[in-house]
Amino acid sequence: MTRPAPRPVPRLTPGPAPRPVRRSARGSAPLVAAAVAAVLLLAAGCGGRATTHHKPGTGHEQAAGSHGTLLAARDESGHRLRDLPAAEAPAVRAEARPDTEGGWNVHLAVERFRFTPESTGGGALTGRGHARVLVDGREAARAYGPWFHVPAGARTLTVRLHADDHTVWATAGEPVQTTVPLAPSATAPASPPTTAPTTAPAPDPTPDPTPSTRTLDIRVTGSTVTPAPARVEVRKGERITLRVTSDRADTLHVHGYDREAALSPGIPAALTLTADRTGLFEVETHASDLVLTQLVVR
Amino acid sequence: MTTGHSPPLPFAHEAAGQTSFLSFAPQAAGQAPPLPFLPEPAGQAPLLPLAHGVGAQHDLPLSPFYAYAGAFTALFVSFLGLALLWSASRFRGDRAGRPLPASLQRLADSSVTRTALRVLGAALALFFLAHLLLGPDDPDRNPAPGALYVLLWVGLVPASLLLGPVWRLVNPLRALLSLRPPTRPRPVPAAVGIRPAAAGLLLFAWLELVAPDNTSRPVLLTALAVHLAVQLLGAARHGAAWFAHADPFEAYSSLLARLSPLGRRADGRLVLRSPFNGLDSTPETPGLVATVCVLLGTTAYDGLSDNPRWITTLQTSSLGPTATATLGLLAAVALAAACYGLCAGALRLLNRALTTPLTSFAHSLLPIALGYLVAHYFSLLAVEGPRTVIMAAGTDNAPSPAPPLGPAGLAVLQVAAIVTGHVLGVVAAHDRSVRLFPPARAVAGQLPLFALMIAYTLGGIGLLIA
Repeated sequence: MTRPAPRPVPRLTPGPAPRPVRRSARGSAPLVAAAVAAVLLLAAGCGGRATTHHKPGTGHEQAAGSHGTLLAARDESGHRLRDLPAAEAPAVRAEARPDTEGGWNVHLAVERFRFTPESTGGGALTGRGHARVLVDGREAARAYGPWFHVPAGARTLTVRLHADDHTVWATAGEPVQTTVPLAPSATAPASPPTTAPTTAPAPDPTPDPTPSTRTLDIRVTGSTVTPAPARVEVRKGERITLRVTSDRADTLHVHGYDREAALSPGIPAALTLTADRTGLFEVETHASDLVLTQLVVR
Repeated sequence: MTTGHSPPLPFAHEAAGQTSFLSFAPQAAGQAPPLPFLPEPAGQAPLLPLAHGVGAQHDLPLSPFYAYAGAFTALFVSFLGLALLWSASRFRGDRAGRPLPASLQRLADSSVTRTALRVLGAALALFFLAHLLLGPDDPDRNPAPGALYVLLWVGLVPASLLLGPVWRLVNPLRALLSLRPPTRPRPVPAAVGIRPAAAGLLLFAWLELVAPDNTSRPVLLTALAVHLAVQLLGAARHGAAWFAHADPFEAYSSLLARLSPLGRRADGRLVLRSPFNGLDSTPETPGLVATVCVLLGTTAYDGLSDNPRWITTLQTSSLGPTATATLGLLAAVALAAACYGLCAGALRLLNRALTTPLTSFAHSLLPIALGYLVAHYFSLLAVEGPRTVIMAAGTDNAPSPAPPLGPAGLAVLQVAAIVTGHVLGVVAAHDRSVRLFPPARAVAGQLPLFALMIAYTLGGIGLLIA
């Protein structure tokens, strides 16, 4: 576990955060505030980390005077947009691949951007922040890293980059985000890098989240497998359910896919998998060391 | 190759203990976001090490199209060979070859090169031994089983084909022996030949294809201890020459090296030569037939062991799976040998002057065995080889690289390997028979051999359809 990096500055005053930003003192109030903050910082430095009622990374006020230009525009959740010149603005690309157990695994490729979960809630710094995950237009989660999983049933995925102070990174007045359709089975192509507007592309045309599955019933009695081990031809991409009843406690295992299921005596156990790799794979039990069947995935 | 356990797919599911980077609760502004880096509750218990060999995925069975195409090609080539091939022997065995530059020969023969190779072999052996003794007893996390069954056993095929008999240059046993060479080694009796190596190859095949728990530390250590005892006791009596007769890997590598373009002429020069000449110069030592039959039979058994009917037989046999599989392995070798024996008997009937029908044509089975080896083990080497190297480099839970060929490409490669082996065998046998038989009987004399080779090739392709 990484130790959280020292937070920039805990904000105790509503004034501008005293961070090393080029700024000319244009009045005495900011100066006083800065001096107070500096004294507090020094005091805090003696006793360790400054503590407020917000733990590090949990504050939510939007800092007014950080990087970029704060726009009046807000996204649908009410976060203000923070505009950067195109050369400095981050970019995001999302790639979604179907998971064998359902849903999609999403990988975010970001440019000029770093996920900084340890400083979320701090002031906005260029190139830092987190992402918000919108499923079918509704906010579903926050991503503090490049990999996450989206449960089955989703049609489109939008990923939007936010600064540490929860404002939305934007360029030319448009939020930095990307939208990918989530195809039910086929691999969704990577979306082009975009800093494009919010208008989502057309939703997925085939919204069937549970494609039909084939079921193989297998019974194990002692060292006898019924039906006898054979080769089962499976089309690549097909979903197949193995329903296995064993007369003893055992573990069912599909080689290559490395899927396992516990078997209890006399109780059928089902294991469903999407045959997404070609080859000959053995289905077997661990304790009794029997081959139950072979999946021939073409 | 038997099945084993590969690491979880990167996309299969969250690994136990992996850090979650995402919270899936809709959050209102002002609410505290969850603390990042909370470890997910451990999911299922870590998988137990499995009692299997290396490699989780088998090759797809051949489609009938490729099988028929291969079989037809084999038949066609055989009859073409009978009709059209030359009528006087062309291969000159170890007298042929274009010498390599003298500087290359000096480099290859220099004691520095030899010592460096010895040291390399010894270092690799120590690395292997350290992993075997100290590493986890789990083939998914320990590279030692993969190093033996994939890198050494399968990797020796391309290495020997390209560079010649490499194992005798890096054999760590030779390095060990050179520390304390026996003072008065006795010569190995001529009748022994490479029979001990044939027995060793059969035992190794049994370990690889039949033995239960053959990737576990106790089994591997036992096998290693037996191997070391036999080799070192023999070497203490007969000196380093013993290894050429008894080390299964040396015999295997030296036989495959007969098909290498790099070889040595009778005068010791390092030459580039046609593999046919190398093959023709295969010494007809006692045990050559046994070794080749072991190679053919065990590889055929490997194909058979994937067959669902054979699996059912194993699982329901009253003898128990290990004993049944042992019998199956022995039967496969015996069948390969019996076919060859029948063929040799027929050859002897056709030509009374042929005094050694068995050994005279054994070399022509080598390319057929090589074709089997390539067809059965190519994808194992291509997938598990890199994984073993990645593991040895220190990566825990190394991913399986994607197979380099798609199903169709692999099928073409398998059929091509078997048919090419067949063609090379036919040509080698033809040349030998026109040398040994009087011209009038040369064509008729080859008929039993050609029938045998067609049987082997169709059998090999049939096992891939299985």
